[in-house]
Amino acid sequence: MKRYVLERIIRSLFSIFCVVTIAMFLVYSQIDRNNVFKEDQAVLKLKGQPDAYLNYRYSVWETLGYLDYMTQRDACTLEYDVNSKEFTSCLEIGSPEAAALGEQYKAKGYSVEPTPESGALWFTRDYTLVERIVRFYSGLINIDNPYAVQDANNPDLERKIYFGNDLAGKPALKCSGCEHKYLIYFNSDFPFIHQNIVTFDLGTSYPAYKNQAVTDVMSLRQGSAVKETVTFETGLTLDTSILDHTCTYKEVLDQLDSNKFVDNYANCLTNMAEDSMMSVSIKMGLMAVAIGYGLGIPVGMLMARRKGKLADKLGQAYIVIMISIPSLAYISFFRYLGTQYMGLPGKYPELGGADWRSWVLPVISLALPQIAGLMMWTRRYMVDQSSSDYVKFARAKGLSESEIFSRHILKNAIIPIAQGIPGSIIGCINGAIITESLYAVSGMGKLLPNSIKGFNNSMVIALTFFFTFLSVFSLLLGDLLVTVIDPRISLATSKKGGRK
Amino acid sequence: MEEKNIVLSAKDVVVKFHVRDRVLTAIRKVSLDLYDGETLAIVGESGSGKSVFTKTFTGMLESNGWVDNGEIMFEGKNLLENKKNRDWEKVRGAKIATIFQDPMSSLNPIKTIGSQITEVVMKHQGKTKAEAKEIAIDMMDRVGIPNAADRFDEYPFQYSGGMRQRIVIAIALACRPKILICDEPTTALDVTIQAQILKLIKDLQKEYGFTTVFITHDLGVVANMADRVAVMYGGQIIEYGTVEDIFYNPKHPYTWALLSSLPQIGVKGEELYSIAGTPPSLFNEIKGDAFAPRNPHAMKIDFEEEPPFFQISPTHYAKTWLLDPRAPKIEPPHEIKVLHQRMVEMTSKGGAFYVE
Repeated sequence: MKRYVLERIIRSLFSIFCVVTIAMFLVYSQIDRNNVFKEDQAVLKLKGQPDAYLNYRYSVWETLGYLDYMTQRDACTLEYDVNSKEFTSCLEIGSPEAAALGEQYKAKGYSVEPTPESGALWFTRDYTLVERIVRFYSGLINIDNPYAVQDANNPDLERKIYFGNDLAGKPALKCSGCEHKYLIYFNSDFPFIHQNIVTFDLGTSYPAYKNQAVTDVMSLRQGSAVKETVTFETGLTLDTSILDHTCTYKEVLDQLDSNKFVDNYANCLTNMAEDSMMSVSIKMGLMAVAIGYGLGIPVGMLMARRKGKLADKLGQAYIVIMISIPSLAYISFFRYLGTQYMGLPGKYPELGGADWRSWVLPVISLALPQIAGLMMWTRRYMVDQSSSDYVKFARAKGLSESEIFSRHILKNAIIPIAQGIPGSIIGCINGAIITESLYAVSGMGKLLPNSIKGFNNSMVIALTFFFTFLSVFSLLLGDLLVTVIDPRISLATSKKGGRK
Repeated sequence: MEEKNIVLSAKDVVVKFHVRDRVLTAIRKVSLDLYDGETLAIVGESGSGKSVFTKTFTGMLESNGWVDNGEIMFEGKNLLENKKNRDWEKVRGAKIATIFQDPMSSLNPIKTIGSQITEVVMKHQGKTKAEAKEIAIDMMDRVGIPNAADRFDEYPFQYSGGMRQRIVIAIALACRPKILICDEPTTALDVTIQAQILKLIKDLQKEYGFTTVFITHDLGVVANMADRVAVMYGGQIIEYGTVEDIFYNPKHPYTWALLSSLPQIGVKGEELYSIAGTPPSLFNEIKGDAFAPRNPHAMKIDFEEEPPFFQISPTHYAKTWLLDPRAPKIEPPHEIKVLHQRMVEMTSKGGAFYVE
């Protein structure tokens, strides 16, 4: 069992790797890189200044992982001590140091050219696919530790992990010297205990959500800032929207920071009114999945028991309607019913996520097709099972129809359905594009299509990785769940080959 | 049979089915008495109504079929008056048990062997779980499962085909039924396992004294197991009698044909006898003797009027006009004359059908 799971995990990781590699190849090598500026307004303003235009574009490409880009200053800083004479000389245009650097980088495969206006050198080199892959995975997981911060201006930074309280007075595991001030903390959001020790870096979003980490785009709260009265460690009491748990190390503090913070952990995120994209999609999806399974399976069972009778026919009509009518059409229809006759909001932001009425129509719209699908499969599996020999024998044993259904057929019919349960739960994270755009829900659904449309390359790669990861592992979880229910399936691999 | 206690008596049973807007008459006025403790074999080709007929004993006809006429008396009650499933549930498994041909699929693949035995004990005998478990393990022992207690919690896939059929028998007999209907119980098993299972049924029958109805194509099984044989054709019993009557002195031309086509009595190198033509369509009303169109000895009357049962001996009856005193004397084919001798050879020690 353990060995099988391990093998499965390795295979899963390999398939994720393949998918991401293909996506990287397509996105970075097959699409013109100038497209990334299509949606960017800032780049247009720079058209009149050739140097700034060049610098901007290459900086963006560097952020997006296309290439390595350096100005003459960057290269000099890397090469010489900032306080040395050579450094000052190196910065000059046409200096021997600069020329030498140019030669040196040319030898390394860089293209070295003078900028159109000032004539300062700039260095650039495209990453190969392999380099991109290595960079993606090597930066993927960050483990915070007390030696994470290396700040030349702050040599006396204490390096320790300690227990303390957060600003609200709750206990927390804190750190000095780490990237994050709070390593483990508690709050009222599910799952109540949170950590900053292991963080994922999936890249930086551009041009939409400019320069935000992709993970932040998905998981940070949205909307307008929410203020609360907070007393800082300096004793200052303020109405502020700072989220103290998110504070990270900031190298240069300004006066405002010094008023609030006793240490350098002043890079904090603000608290917003609305749930994050991920959280909205998960909440909405889970409610729909709960309704879907809660109604779909029992109704499917009922249909199977009353096969050919009125209840079955009505159910079949519903299934056919849900399958044959495009989802856009019936979602619009239910939205019309809800807004016209039940006074429910037709757009999620009308009342916001805090009001339960905002959730009703999107959740129902998501649940309806799921109910239909589950009804269909439950009915189908149960009808399949009811014509099997063991049911005939159970009947010959004198069991009643309801005993046969509940003790024999149900469990057999549930096995193939159970396999999909982890998938549908985890799949909620992916969001639902049609429902979310129709109700203007700021969820995950639109993220991938919008990123593709907007040439947000790092987001496309990150989402490809993330969604592939989720689906591959929900399949694994589904298979593990089946082994729990079905005694015939054991995941043990025997050394002789073949299953035990 | 010295003492003839009738356990079950079917009279004029007619079974019809709705098939694609047409009505098919599967059983046409069949009457049969089952005696206490006997083994009756019902033989006949596919579609002759063997299974359908026995299904009426437990009300297990498919949903498109119904008993149109007749009565089945069992323990002083007409079973066909059972309208609700609940009434039938008291008969099925408790009084009349059925085992089917495929042991691989007769057991629920994801329930433990034990629970599949105990559920029937708990249902019919109102035992507690612990008591039922004791009965189940005892039953497993009796049907020859080694280490029954250890194997109680195992699943069907951990059992071999023969073992599974033993479990099916254990389940069927767990409530000590009066009648055991075996619907081709050994067809799906290989020959050595077949013999073991047949012997097991025979032994258990001796021990418990239930009546067995064997539905089979296999005349070898018949010769071995049965006390009496009923031959069915076209939804009717056309001849019945003791095994000796049927094998030694068959009277109906269909019985002759059926016995002649036994592969086991064929002579090597000679073409095996096969019955020409096809069975009658049960959608149409059958006039006269159903076998007449395929019967080389058919007479004019066979196409016009249905023959009655003629008594040949107190135990042996056949439904053919050939037995009418006015009919010409027709000798059974040569194979039939030597059949009895061959069957004796085959069922005695060393023969292909020998069962201890």
